[in-house]
Amino acid sequence: MPRAKGRSALLAFASYASTALSAFFVARAPLTAAPLTRPIASYQISCRLDTEKKTVEGTELMTWTNTTARPAPTLQFHLYLNAFRNTLSTFWRESGGEHRGNRLPESWGSIELTRMTLADGSDLLPALSYISPDDANPYDRTVAEVQLPRAVAPGETISVSIDFRSRLPRVSTRTGWKGDFFLVGQWFPKIGVFQEKGWNCHQFHASSEFFADFGDYDVSIDVPARYRGKVGATGVRVEERNLPGDRVLYRFRQESVHDFAWTADPEYLVVDDVFREPGVADTQIRLLLQPEHRAQQARYLQATKTAMSGYGRVLGPYPYPTLTVVDPPWGARGAGGMEYPTFITGGTHRMAPASVQSPEGVTIHEFGHQYFYGLLASNEFEEPWLDEGFNEYMEDRIVGAAYGSSHPVLTAFGFRFPIGIAIHRPLDTNRRYFPVATEDVLASPAWKFRTRASYGAHVYSKTALAMAMLERSIGTPTMNRALRLYADRWRFRHPTTADWIAAVHDATGRDYRWFFDRTFFSSGAVDYAVVEAKSEKWTPPKGLFESDGRLVEKPPPGLAAAKGWESVVTVARLGEVAMPVDIVLRFEGGHAYHSLWDGEARWKRFRVDRGPRLLEAIVDPNEKILLDLDRTNNGRLVQADPRAASRWTARAVFWMQNLIDSLTIAW
Amino acid sequence: MKGHVSAAGCFARGVKLSLSRPYLAASLWLMQLLLASVLVLPVSNALHTLLDHSSTGSRMVADPDFGWWETIRRVHPDLLGNFPDAIESATSVEGVKSSALAELEGIGATAISLCLLGIVLHAFALGGIFGALREPQSSLVVIGREGMRRFPAFLAFTLAAMAAALAAYRWIYLASGEAWRDRLNDLDTEGQAMALTAARLLAFLLVLAAIKLVADSVRAIWVARPDLPAVSRLFAGLAAAFSRPARLFGVLLLYLISGSVLYVLWIVLDPSAGGEARFALVPLILAQQVFVFLRSLLKVGYYAGVSEALTRVPSPEYSYVPAPAIDEPLVSVDRASDEAGVERPAGAI
Repeated sequence: MPRAKGRSALLAFASYASTALSAFFVARAPLTAAPLTRPIASYQISCRLDTEKKTVEGTELMTWTNTTARPAPTLQFHLYLNAFRNTLSTFWRESGGEHRGNRLPESWGSIELTRMTLADGSDLLPALSYISPDDANPYDRTVAEVQLPRAVAPGETISVSIDFRSRLPRVSTRTGWKGDFFLVGQWFPKIGVFQEKGWNCHQFHASSEFFADFGDYDVSIDVPARYRGKVGATGVRVEERNLPGDRVLYRFRQESVHDFAWTADPEYLVVDDVFREPGVADTQIRLLLQPEHRAQQARYLQATKTAMSGYGRVLGPYPYPTLTVVDPPWGARGAGGMEYPTFITGGTHRMAPASVQSPEGVTIHEFGHQYFYGLLASNEFEEPWLDEGFNEYMEDRIVGAAYGSSHPVLTAFGFRFPIGIAIHRPLDTNRRYFPVATEDVLASPAWKFRTRASYGAHVYSKTALAMAMLERSIGTPTMNRALRLYADRWRFRHPTTADWIAAVHDATGRDYRWFFDRTFFSSGAVDYAVVEAKSEKWTPPKGLFESDGRLVEKPPPGLAAAKGWESVVTVARLGEVAMPVDIVLRFEGGHAYHSLWDGEARWKRFRVDRGPRLLEAIVDPNEKILLDLDRTNNGRLVQADPRAASRWTARAVFWMQNLIDSLTIAW
Repeated sequence: MKGHVSAAGCFARGVKLSLSRPYLAASLWLMQLLLASVLVLPVSNALHTLLDHSSTGSRMVADPDFGWWETIRRVHPDLLGNFPDAIESATSVEGVKSSALAELEGIGATAISLCLLGIVLHAFALGGIFGALREPQSSLVVIGREGMRRFPAFLAFTLAAMAAALAAYRWIYLASGEAWRDRLNDLDTEGQAMALTAARLLAFLLVLAAIKLVADSVRAIWVARPDLPAVSRLFAGLAAAFSRPARLFGVLLLYLISGSVLYVLWIVLDPSAGGEARFALVPLILAQQVFVFLRSLLKVGYYAGVSEALTRVPSPEYSYVPAPAIDEPLVSVDRASDEAGVERPAGAI
């Protein structure tokens, strides 16, 4: 908006003063009306970014409360950045030097603790050791344990002051730098979760994320002045201050979260917007966009609002006042598609058409983690399906409703191009499950899947399909009720699979344990098929029949004169897992016969005598059994219809001619 | 009389020649159809088995179904093997690995074999086409005769061109991709990365075009200069390519553009889609074959255009204008050993 000429100096001063005052009060106003939850692990961090050395040096004051009934003689800390320390780390060994199909750069990261003291000045560093509770890898340095001089009693709160130096790797897995771009995640010493059975503090794995207690974060970030206005982070920015040496300090605060990440890039286009919905507090959206993705600004924002509305309506309103959406630059895709509290990273391509739903899909997915991970802070190490899988299911629902079918991409020359075939959610988007359907039990810890492909296929896709199956079985309103119940009960807590099953039970009034036993806790395959469907003209019976007390070679008149068709349908269960399944037989004249089979036996036969002519038999006609491995055998026509095969044969021959023509012209 | 001979003029004359002798294009079309028809039974039988009694099939008459395709590839790996993956990997930095051939199966493996056979037969057809183009009167018989006579040499040219093209793929496209793989991510923007990839691709395509034009020049001169010994014809062909690169490249470019226009028309008109009535199959097949025939016409036009570009020169000795009468009998002209008994048209180089 152009500045008005002729405005008096007094008015200008008044306007400036008013803005400054409002900014002052906004900065100092309580972040929320009341604490969202009781803090367990809170952090006050001051850090300084060295853009040349790619390091973050910081001082952390960690305040932790033992909420269990047992004393804690030790503390355990995650030192995630040590996953990038060398090729002997558990992360590197499990990943095979690859992440999301890309080779990890040989750019090393680490985190070193240079001081660790208690409030009374006791030095804890000499009592620190590295442990590997998951795989006993002696070279892994991602979990540190420190012996306390005195155990922390139940209900007691202690403070630990830590100096640390984090060296960031070239962006590869959710954190790092590329040029002047920094995504600083998993970067500070972070305490594990102390439970009744002891510390829950897993190593950093290739296929797992995080688990932490809620707390309040107050973080000051000191960056070079060229990053002025281009720093985004978890929470609300409460201070911007110039520092000597051409530097600038930003301070962010957020209560009731369980992690903190930040980003800085002088190239960011900063776009501010507001999410408003009746009955819900406004949320400030800050989009940090790459200049070359300027054309996708509206799509990013629309997707963010779609997500906030979609998730909020089912799972309850988003409780925080801000949301920061980060668009990573080219060459830093490893930073994309990641979630931190009130802070998500998306990702898109320069010329991505709307039909590929990028950045829409990833933005909606990552926002969904504000619920499944953020508010419902399940253990991502041990039960990764509770965040990734549930979120995948919700993403399919929201993206499907808002954007419809997408189009798959063909990767050529290293870039992605949409092709014409429509793919539908959730079935088509989760097909990666089927090739590895029997490799693993879904309900396994993240690092115990046979392959990383199997991890993704099960944790994301099988869960999403199973959840959609459940929804189609109990109905969307009941499913929403179960989800809301689960979300309300476990907001700001650590839910487990049992809690979800209990929520389903309470929402439906029925025990669905059997369903989860056969999906979440089974590696068996589901496959139903119509293996036989035939219909032949009724022929009068032959042989000896009773008539007036005698046996005669003539059928009773009713049978002799009967007309119609004799139809036989056999439906088989080809997979190990049984599910109740609908069966429909369609007859001439628009007649249909519906049946619900419990699916337990290996097969079931239907016989219809003297009925109309059978046209088709379909098992699971409404696509409720989304885990069915082979849907091509789910329906069988009695009369062959050769049209599709003939036309596709003609197309195949035509393509072959063109292929030969193109290849022969080449030389 | 000295006049300007443009690439467009050469290509136009080539297409005109092609249109005046449609049996040349027909021979190419027939060859491709026969090769492709090898797949008819395997594809047809597989599809009829999979679709005729399937409820999915009735939904797939007009449009493909993503789920069906994914399921068939997974449940019946014997049908295609890794054919789609191998094709897709061709553009990657890693390229098609030799092990991909070992994992081809069924129809996918057959398709690759047919393509190789097609390349061999194309060498034969080119001999026939170039020979027939220089005959005042020609026919399918002439194509066969000329093709057989030049088959060994033309096959050698084709194989040499293939080897050169594969070397270019390996040492230009893949090697540059490998060299830039990590540095690509260091670029500031995706736009720069796309430009770099486009440059790699363009360099590869330019080299491919050069290889092809050299091969076609050698073929054209091989036919046009039967009076020279084989080695001289080879070098004359090479020299011809290097002496008129712009004109040759122009002819190739026009051929590619006109071919692309045909494809755009095909996509826009979309004869492959449409009604689901049973009789729509016949119009579909007819439209497809007309399309392939049109492509063949353009292809013959291209080869005729190359011949025009190399032989239609303004100086009298290279002109199609009839040469002054020569008293000596033609039989006394020196010929290469494989050209005995062939009558050259008057005025040919």
